[in-house]
Amino acid sequence: MKKITALLLVLVMVLGLVACGEKTPETTKPQTGNNGETTPVVEPSNEPDTIVIMAPPVTGEYLNNLKVWAADFNKLYPHLTVEIIETSWGDHSDKLSTMAQAGEAPDIAEISSGALGTYVEMGVAIDIAKYMSADRLADYDANAVEYMSLEGTTYGLPLYLTIQSIGANKTLMEELGIDVAKIQNEGWTYEEFLDVIAKGTDGNRFGFVFANAGVTASDMLNIFGAGVGLSNNFTADLKYTFTSENMLTLLTAIEEMTKSGYMPNYGVEAGQRMVMCQTGNAMIFGKAMPLFESNFNKNNAALEANDGTAVENSLPMEYAFLPVPTMMGCAESCYGTVDGLIAMRNKNTTDEHLANVLLFMDYICSGDRIASCMNELYLDPVCQSGRDALVLQEGRDEQNLATAGRCIAMVEAPPAGVTAEMTATAKKMMDEHIVPKFQLLLAGEATAQEVYEYICEAAYDAFGAENCVSGKIG
Amino acid sequence: MNGTKQPRLATQRKFRFTNDDLWGYIFIAAAMIIFCVFTLYPVFNAIYTSFFNYKPFGSEFIGLKNYVDTLKYSKFNLFYKAAWNTLVYTAVVVPSTLLISFSVAVMILPFSKKTQSVFKAMYYLPGVASGVALSVVWLWLYDSSPDGLFNQLLSVFGIPAQNWLSSTKTSMLSLMIMALLSSHGTQIITYIAALLGIDNSYFEAAELDGATFMQKVRFIVWPLVKPTTLFLLVTGVIGSFQVFMNAYMMTGGGPDNSTTMIGLLIYNNAFEYGKYGLACAQAILLAIVIAIMSMFQFKMMGVDVEY
Repeated sequence: MKKITALLLVLVMVLGLVACGEKTPETTKPQTGNNGETTPVVEPSNEPDTIVIMAPPVTGEYLNNLKVWAADFNKLYPHLTVEIIETSWGDHSDKLSTMAQAGEAPDIAEISSGALGTYVEMGVAIDIAKYMSADRLADYDANAVEYMSLEGTTYGLPLYLTIQSIGANKTLMEELGIDVAKIQNEGWTYEEFLDVIAKGTDGNRFGFVFANAGVTASDMLNIFGAGVGLSNNFTADLKYTFTSENMLTLLTAIEEMTKSGYMPNYGVEAGQRMVMCQTGNAMIFGKAMPLFESNFNKNNAALEANDGTAVENSLPMEYAFLPVPTMMGCAESCYGTVDGLIAMRNKNTTDEHLANVLLFMDYICSGDRIASCMNELYLDPVCQSGRDALVLQEGRDEQNLATAGRCIAMVEAPPAGVTAEMTATAKKMMDEHIVPKFQLLLAGEATAQEVYEYICEAAYDAFGAENCVSGKIG
Repeated sequence: MNGTKQPRLATQRKFRFTNDDLWGYIFIAAAMIIFCVFTLYPVFNAIYTSFFNYKPFGSEFIGLKNYVDTLKYSKFNLFYKAAWNTLVYTAVVVPSTLLISFSVAVMILPFSKKTQSVFKAMYYLPGVASGVALSVVWLWLYDSSPDGLFNQLLSVFGIPAQNWLSSTKTSMLSLMIMALLSSHGTQIITYIAALLGIDNSYFEAAELDGATFMQKVRFIVWPLVKPTTLFLLVTGVIGSFQVFMNAYMMTGGGPDNSTTMIGLLIYNNAFEYGKYGLACAQAILLAIVIAIMSMFQFKMMGVDVEY
C-alpha cells in the first residue's frame, strides 16, 4: 500500500511538472516568407513594454555602450525599457541556443550569419520586414542584409561585415625587398605568395604561420578558399561548391605549403600566430583582420614606453593587412561574414511587442551607435546612416584602410534561394566531414587527393551528386 | 469464525494511513521533489522529446526516426565512430585509473594519519580545479611546437617533437594521459577508506604464514576491497561514457573525429545544430548502453559482493 501511495505521489508530481512544462498557446503564428508580398508594417504601440537583448562584447566597449544607448532609447520612448543580458563570447551561443530551445529566447540576440539557418529551422527567427518600415530597412547595405536573410526572408539587421585574410610584418617584408603596397593594391597569385614566404623563411623564422589547431583549421579553408572561387557553400544555381576542382586545387596548395617548410608542420593555437609574428618567428600570419593594426600599434607603444606590457621578446614593427592570394586564375575575393542582431520569438511574443523590438534593434544597428563600434573594429559601417556618422579614428594606416575597403567590396554574399535546410546541412558537412579530414591533411596523414575524394563522397551522400558541382567554378 | 476475522482486522490496521505516515512523506518530500524535478522529469521529457522533430513552437511527431537516423549504419554516421572512441577511451582509462588509484592507496596506507591526509589532499587537489582551467594548462603542456613542454621532455630522450592534439596517432592518447594524470583523488580516498576497514588480524595471520607483500595484496587486500572496486568501476564506466569536457576543450573532437565522444556528439547535435530530438534519442541510447554495461559488471563481479 505504501509503495502504491509513494508511486502515486511521484506520478502526481511528474504529471504536475509535465503540465507546468506545457507550451503556452502561441500569441502569434510563425511568419512565412515575404517573397514579393506586400506585408503591412505593424505599428509599435504606446503601451509600456520591456525589450530583452542578449549580446556578447562585440567590441571592448560594446556592452558599456549598450547600456548608454538603452538609456538614450528610453528617453526617446519612455514607455519602452531595455533589459540587457550580458554574455561572454565563450558562452553566448550555448546560452542563446538553450534559451531558444526552451521557448525563452531574448527578443534580440547577436549571431553570426552562419548560425542563422539553425534558428530559422528552429522556428524562433522573425521576419523583420513585417515590423519595420521599408525606408529604414533600405538604410542597410543589401549585400550585408543578404547574409541575414534566407529564402528571401530577412531575419535580422547586420552589425558589421568582417573580413578575414592574412596579415604581415610589413617592416620585415620591406627589408626583404618585397613590394607590400603592390600586393595590397593589386593582389597576388598563389605562386607569388609562395615566393614571398620562401624569402621570409630562414633558420629561425617561418615565412608563414596559420593558426590551424583544432576547429580553427576551418579558418584556413575559408580564407584561402575565397582565393580559389570557394567563397560560398553554394553556387548561384544552388549546387554545393566543395566538390569542385577548385577544392582539389585548394587542398593541393595547402598540402604543398605544409610540406614546404615555409610554415610550421604542427598545429598552431590561435593565440600563438600573432605572437609568432610580433616576436620575429614568422613573417606572414593568418587569420588576420584589419583590427590587428591596433594590436601592433599598442605593442609598439608599449615597447617604446618599456612599461612591461609588450609581448615578451617582441620587436617593433608595422602591420600590413594583406589580401588572400588567388589560385587557378580565379577572380580576387575575400572571405567575409556578417555578424548581426536577429529578432527572436519567445512565449510572450506579440506583434506589437515585435514592432517595439525592431525599433530598438534598428536604433542600435545604425547611426552614430554603429559608427563608434566600427571605429573600434577598424571596419566600415554597413548602413548609410552609420557611414554618415562615422568620424574616422586618427592615425590609421592609409594603405591598410584602402586594402580593407577593397577586400570588403570583394566579399560575395550567399546566393539567393539557399534554404535553411541547405545551410544546416552545409554546416554539418563542414564540421563533421570537411574540417576533420582537412585536419588530417594539415597533420600530413592524408593526401589532398584522398581528402578531396572523401569530401566528394560525403557531399554526394548529404546533398545528392546532382546537387554538387563537378568541374571548375569561375 | 473468530479465527477468520482476526487476520482481516490485522491487515486493515496494517494499511491504515496514519499521522506518522503523513509526516514521513512530508519529510521525504524535499528529496522526492528534487529527484523528480532534476532527474525524473528530465529523463521522461528526454524520452518524450526523442520522438519529435523538436521545435520550441510546434514540435512534429516523427516516431522512431531519430533512433533510426542514429542507428542507421553509414560511413558518414558519426554515432558509431563516437561510440567506438568512447569505448576505447573507457576501456583504457577506467581500469588504468583503478589500478593507479589502488596502487597509490596501498602505498599511502602505511604512513601516519597526518601524512596520509597530506597525500590525500595532494591527489584530490586537481579535482577541485575547474575542468576548463585544467584544460588550459594541458593545452599548454601539449604545445606541438618544439618549444612545448612535453616535446622538450621527449627531446631529452632523442624522440622527435609530437603533434600531440593535431595528429590521429596521438590525439586520443593525449586525452587518456590527461585523464590518467589528473583525476584520482576520489578513487584514492575511497580505496584508503576501504583499506582501513580491513581487520589487521588478516595481515598478522598472513605474516605468521610467511606471506610476501604481493601475496598479502593479492589474497587479502584485493578480495576484501572488491565491493569498493566494483563501485568505482561502475561509477567510473558511467562517468567515462559521459566524458565531454576533455574532448570539447582540448580537440573539439578532431582530428578526423578521432576524439569525438558520444557526449560531444550529443552536445553538438543539441546546441550546434539545434537537433534537440536527435540529441535526446542519442542520450537515451547512451543511457541504455550504460545501464547494460552496469548490469553486466554487476553480473560479472558482483556475485560475491554484498553492500
